[in-house]
Amino acid sequence: MNFPHIHLLLNHFPVIGTIIGLGLFLVGLSDEHQQMRRAALILFAVLAFVTIPVFISGVGAQVVLRKAAVSNVMIQRHEGAAMLALAFMEMTGAAALAGLWESYRISRPTRVNSAAVLLLSVVTVGLMARTGNTGGDIRHPEIGGLQESTGTEGRLGAFVHTFEPEPDKISNLMVFTKWTTAFLMDLHFIGLVLIVGTIGIYNVRILGIAKQMPVAPLHRLLPWGLMGLGINVATGLAVFVGAPEDYTFNAVLWLKIVALGLLGANAAVFYLAGIFNNVERLGPGDEAPFPAKVVAMTSLVLWCAVITFGRYIQVFQHSIAKSSN
Amino acid sequence: MAVPAFLDTIEQTRVSLWLRESESVFGFYFVLLFHTFGLSMLVGASAVLDLRILGVAPDLPLKSLKWLFRTIWVGFAINVTTGLLLVLAYPTKAFTNPVFYIKLSLVAIGLITMQKIKARVFDDSVLSEVAVAPRARSMAIWSLLVWTGALTAGRLLAYTAPYLVYGVRGG
Repeated sequence: MNFPHIHLLLNHFPVIGTIIGLGLFLVGLSDEHQQMRRAALILFAVLAFVTIPVFISGVGAQVVLRKAAVSNVMIQRHEGAAMLALAFMEMTGAAALAGLWESYRISRPTRVNSAAVLLLSVVTVGLMARTGNTGGDIRHPEIGGLQESTGTEGRLGAFVHTFEPEPDKISNLMVFTKWTTAFLMDLHFIGLVLIVGTIGIYNVRILGIAKQMPVAPLHRLLPWGLMGLGINVATGLAVFVGAPEDYTFNAVLWLKIVALGLLGANAAVFYLAGIFNNVERLGPGDEAPFPAKVVAMTSLVLWCAVITFGRYIQVFQHSIAKSSN
Repeated sequence: MAVPAFLDTIEQTRVSLWLRESESVFGFYFVLLFHTFGLSMLVGASAVLDLRILGVAPDLPLKSLKWLFRTIWVGFAINVTTGLLLVLAYPTKAFTNPVFYIKLSLVAIGLITMQKIKARVFDDSVLSEVAVAPRARSMAIWSLLVWTGALTAGRLLAYTAPYLVYGVRGG
């Protein structure tokens, strides 16, 4: 198992998944199929997460394939397309989480939110398809999409390309100005504080400490935690893009991503298995049921793991060998 | 201004050398990790109190949040301990950097603001929402700004140090 394997294994999920998500979302726009819309929002949030390891393993694949007979021009074009697709995928995921919050607060997402999710996901589907195509061109030039020698492509493709970042330029920007990294890391810590403050206190309450707090009003703090999460996904990815090779070949970064994935699964159990509805009813002094405590404890342990791995990323740079097999 | 020699003396002690140079995962970065846990308790609890005073989660009774002041002090205690160890590891780096003093001042102002909020809002036996309003709100905004500043100053220590260790220029 190496980075090209992982990349090839995971890379179809965002491309196909966003198409399925958009289909579900369109059906869910009618009032009879509210559940479909909710399913689409959950799917978009999951895909926003999955796209991160796809992107990172892509950088790994690029380095591993450097010695192989593949075109660097094609890889650069693919990476530029991937960066733009990733940015829109994360925005779609953020809008989807906001929509899920609204469906909890006022029983259904607002029109503004649905319009935003629709617009962002349509763009994401297109950009993901383009990423898939430019990626396919790396290994299958016989299909004949992009002409490497001339770099020519269709009119729409050329238009989209004007928005695509040039990976090399971005990497240089971050590496050469330490203040960019300093600013992003500062925001990353502000995001961390928001997450720990809101989600941490909620979990602590469910575990039975400070039981005088009623649970439902406490849950209203969650959007601030989600905002922290959004800040940290954005700043984390920006720092990654600044020096991709320092992070891709880093075992601790991968552990952090696994821990974040487990947190997503834990949250899914909490909200979808009826545990959330059980704790919403808890007033001052009420004891949470045992399954809720298990989920809360899991969340606290995993967030501690995320912070621990985050802290040690710097120590474990280049802890994964760059050999090609 | 010459860098005082006693900083070099501290750096040559066994504890300081071990913290700085140990390959163990329980060395410098372990202390830094607990400094992060401490700050997230200290600033996380403060931020939630501030947000509540500013009108977020209005159905959450103010009184039920009073326990968070204990979390603030536990976080502060962790960070005084780990902070002393971090300074022990890199005394020249800390004491020659003006940002270090700005950070300590902001932490002090942050704690004083939280104490004022506690006295004004939470030690009031009646705890009426109406009385809390304007003055507490401005203190909550100040608190958020000061903690953001303290956090930023702390982060910047890694990028602004004129010296790494005694006699070795940084930056």
